[in-house]
Parts: sequence; C-alpha cells; structure tokens
Amino acid sequence: MSLAGIGVVARQEFRLRIRTGRWRWLLGAWLLVVTGFTGLLYAGLQHTTRTDDGAVMYGGLMLFVLALAALVAPALAAQSVNGDRERGVLAALQVTALGAGDIATGKLVAAWGTSVVFLALTLPDVLWCVAAGGVQLTRLLVTMGVMVLLLGVICAIALALSALLRRTTTSGLLSYLAVFALSIGTLVVFGLVSAATQETRVVHTPVDPNCSIDPGFSPGGCSGTYTESVVRTDRTWWLLAPNPFLILADSAPQTAKQKRGSSTDPLGSMARWVRDQRRGPTSSFTYGSLSSTRNPGAVWPWGLGFDVLLGAGGLWLTTRRLRTPTRKLARGARIA
Amino acid sequence: MTMTETSGRPPGIVAQGVRRTFGSVEAVRSVDFHAQPGEITALVGPNGAGKTTLLLVLATLLVPDAGSVSVAGYDPMTEAGEVRRRLGWAPDVFGLYDNLTAREYLEFFADAYRIPRPRGQQRAAELLALAHLPEYADSPVHVLSRGQKQRLGVVRAMVHDPEVLILDEPASGLDPRSRVDLKEMLREYAESGRTVVVSSHILSDLEELADRVVFIDKGLSVGEHVMSALPTSATSRRTWRLRSLDEPALVAALTRNGYSHSEPTAAGIDVDLADDAAAAALIAGLVNDKVPLVSCAPIGGALEAAYLELTEGRS
Repeated sequence: MSLAGIGVVARQEFRLRIRTGRWRWLLGAWLLVVTGFTGLLYAGLQHTTRTDDGAVMYGGLMLFVLALAALVAPALAAQSVNGDRERGVLAALQVTALGAGDIATGKLVAAWGTSVVFLALTLPDVLWCVAAGGVQLTRLLVTMGVMVLLLGVICAIALALSALLRRTTTSGLLSYLAVFALSIGTLVVFGLVSAATQETRVVHTPVDPNCSIDPGFSPGGCSGTYTESVVRTDRTWWLLAPNPFLILADSAPQTAKQKRGSSTDPLGSMARWVRDQRRGPTSSFTYGSLSSTRNPGAVWPWGLGFDVLLGAGGLWLTTRRLRTPTRKLARGARIA
Repeated sequence: MTMTETSGRPPGIVAQGVRRTFGSVEAVRSVDFHAQPGEITALVGPNGAGKTTLLLVLATLLVPDAGSVSVAGYDPMTEAGEVRRRLGWAPDVFGLYDNLTAREYLEFFADAYRIPRPRGQQRAAELLALAHLPEYADSPVHVLSRGQKQRLGVVRAMVHDPEVLILDEPASGLDPRSRVDLKEMLREYAESGRTVVVSSHILSDLEELADRVVFIDKGLSVGEHVMSALPTSATSRRTWRLRSLDEPALVAALTRNGYSHSEPTAAGIDVDLADDAAAAALIAGLVNDKVPLVSCAPIGGALEAAYLELTEGRS
C-alpha cells in the first residue's frame, strides 16, 4: 500500500463520479434543502427572545445535516467493490501494481471525500448560525471534526458490505440498515434492555420537618419506606454510545451556560440526557442531591471509539476481500 | 527492447499438474502447460474445459489446489507482485469505464502500473495507434463498437510492455478485419521475444495465429502440437468437399466408383479420403466420367482435424 497507489484509485473514482453528471443536481438539491432548513429555523427563532439563537440553530442544523449525510454516505460507497465486479473492471485492476490496500483505501477516500464535499456545502449555513451568535469556535471545529469522522465510518461500513456481498442492491440495502441500526436501533435496544433489567428497590425517606401531608391521605405520611422500580441505565448506557447523533451532541464543547442547562440548544439537551443515562437513577427523595454531585461522565469517547473501530474493521475486511490470488470464490461468481 | 533471461529462472510459462476445484466442480483437474518466449501458444478446448480457470491461476488471481506454476520466472502465488510487473492479462469478458475516453482509459492503467506520467502518455498514444483507434483517442469509450472495445482491452494488457501476455478469447466479437489486425499485432509482439498465450474454442481463429497449441478438455491437458508439424491432408485422412454443376451425376459417379459419401447439401458432398494422392485420383476419375466438377477441397484445417481426432470417443 502506498500513497501514490491510493491516489491513483481515489482520483479515478472521483473522475468517474464527476463524469456521471448527476452530481451537480444532487449537490444543488442538498444546498437548497440545507439552506431551506436553516432559513426556517432562523425564522422560527425570531419569535423568541433568546440570546443564543445561533447555538440553537447550529445544533439543529448539525443534527439535520448528519441525518441527511447518513442517507447520502451509504450510497457513495455501497456499490464501489461489487459494482466494479459487476462491470468487469475490478480484476484488470487487481493484476496491476496496485495492491488490495491501495484499491480499498482509494475507494474509501473517494467516498469519504465526496461526503465531506457535501458537508462543506453546508458551510454558508454554518456561517449564518455563527453570525446569529452563540457558537464558539471550539464547538464549531469539534462538531465538524466528529461529523467528518462519522461520515468516514458510514462510508467504511458500506464499502465493506460492497466487498462482502455480490449483489449491489443487497449491499445498498444493508448499508442503510446498518446506518439505521446505529441511529435508531441503538435507541430501541437501549430502551428495551433497560426496561427488561429494571430493579425494585426499597427507599427510606427521611422525615421532612416541613411535611404537611395528611397521614390519612398518604399511608406513608411524611416518613417511612416504600418500594420503587428503577431503571439501571448506568448499566445499559453503553448501548447508546455508538449512536452517531448522540456522539455528535455529546462531543460538542459547551459553554458554562449550556452546562448549567439553561440553554435549549438541542446538542446540549441530548448531551445532558445521554450523560444522565450513564449516571443512572437518582432517588426522587434524596435531598441535597446525593448522586448528582457525581459528575456525569462523557459518553462520546466510547461511542466514537467504537464506531471508528467499526470503520477500521470495515476497511480491513474490504482489503482482505480484495487480496489476490484468492482461494475462495463466491458460487456462480466470475472473478473477472 | 530485448528480453534477457533472468539467471536460472525459466522464461515464459511453466505450469505442471495444476488443479483447481470450485466446491464439487472440478474446473481444472490436471493441466500441464508450457509457453515459450517468441511464440504464440494457443490454449484450445470446448466451453467449460477449464481454460479461463487455468488463465486466472496464471494471472495471479486464483490459488490452485495443487500443482506448480511459474510465470516469467516467478510464482504467481508467492511472488504475485513480481509476476504482475511482467504479465499482461485481458479477461474474456471485461468492462471499460464508460465515462472515460480511450486515452484516459489507457493512461489510467499506466498509472496503475506506476509508469511515470510522461512515459504513460506516450505509451497510451502508441497503443491507440497499435489498436487502430487513434481517431477515437478522445471519444468516450461507450461510443466504440464491440470490436473496437475488444481491441482497446487487448492493448490495455500491453500498457506496461509485459514479458508475458495472456489473452482470454481475444478474437471473440471481432470482425474479419479486426481479426487480421489482432493476428498481426500479436505476431509482432511475440517476435520481439515475448510470450503470448491466447485461448479460444474457435479453431479457425488460431489456425494461422498460433505456433503451438495445447488442447484441454474436461479439466485435463490432452495434447500439444507444434502447428508447423501438424499432419496435413498430404499424408493424413481428411474429409473433402466436392461441388458439381450436376449433383445427381456426381452422386452417381461416386457410388459407381465405391466411395462412401455424405448426403448432398447446398454446400456440396463430403467424402473421406486417405491423402492428397487419393484426392487426385478421385478428381481424375470424376473428370474422366464427364462430371462437371466445380471444386474439391479438404474441409476444416489441420488443427480441427487434430482436435477432432483427440476428442474422438472422449465424450
């Protein structure tokens, strides 16, 4: 594997993509949709008297862009290996001086690079958010960086599926399912597993000197014991970690105000929620907040780490599948 | 450029006892195959005989289950990189990048073989001329005809000036003119000291092209012939085809003289004859009998006769 080899493959992929011509339309449509969304967001916020409109706009825009990118990125890579096989152009490339790593990495670079071009097209709208105020530079840089990494992960997963599966339609479908599993599946599994592992615990409530509850109305009165079921999300939070939306939200650096929770910025709210899940349940009757003194730990390093490993695994698998001479050959598949 | 033999390494292709199965299908059971520099070696066999599988093994794409292979002196399994530098391969079915021009297509492969850019551009121009496609250099590949695409695919395999050139069914889909051009191109390439291997199931394609022929059938190498040494009609039994202005008279004369002959068709009447002398005798007899004979010639080439002889009774 060499930079020159990767460059040869990536340049070729880019050139073939650009030549198909649809890209101008697709990029134009993307720009239109994203700008339309930002405009509506801006208009909607004009009726509030908030000071960090920019941060709210930016958060909303980033989540929207990630959702759109998650629709585009799989399409960029999900046919790059089996599509070449189908067209009969892969084998001729495999017998050149290019190694399997050159071909796999070159294809990933091309798909990833294209998705970053889409992301770059959102920059005018990002600047609009910045102009609206409340978006600090570190937040901008970190969310963009994390977004770029997440797009790479999605492309690498789709690339691996295109190398593993013979039919382009199957790999395309499974790539979307994989993205769906990461973004919706993690939430569903987290919800179900958490519900299934609920615990019942006995809570001793201290006597509240200011209590005025009528003992006849409430059997426990102002003190006593009762049982409640608690959802131990501190044991299941990791199921949420690979979710790209939560990673994006949780990784965004926050201002002091955002940390206090006095902002409605969507990224901040999602970050607080996911960190609360990691911290686990707190009793509704704990005065002076026993658990909340514990600083809730960040979730995104785990999630991003996992996803990046997933992407690296995808690239490794692709390279392995492209290595020749090969022992295995899919049934009915012509190698050329 | 002249090819110098690497010390101790056998040039050309040496394959011995190659075996490759796909699940329960024995694509190649046991094939011995040799090809020498300076020659065009043809790999001949019916569809499904194992030609393409053998060529994939030689082209560093498939690992054989057994056997030893050397291409340009290197092992395609353990020294694939060395082999690839010296090997050009064009598969039987291949695609071109439709959105590239013919020139871009060749230059891309020059890049893929890490040929420096100026040299690659020069090489692409040479190959376009060789394929008789210079006027299409800047046309997108999808406007080319089938034969033109085939020619482009063949010269693509030559982009890095390989020592060994392997072409799987290169003549399929070519018109007669293109076939002649292909023959000349390969002949010239072989004469510069390189090894050329061509596979086909169409014997007439190879008749004038190949120097040596290796027959394979049902995954086995079943015979090898040097074309110039193949028996001709002068000394071996052949089917001859006769045509006459008066077909009933021809049939009557053949029957009268005791020749067993085929049913008359629009193409003529076929008769098996031992050698050229027998044919001369037959013609003399027919002329003597006042049969208005138009033509009398052996059908099928020497290669076809050898092939039919080899595969006779094998099915």
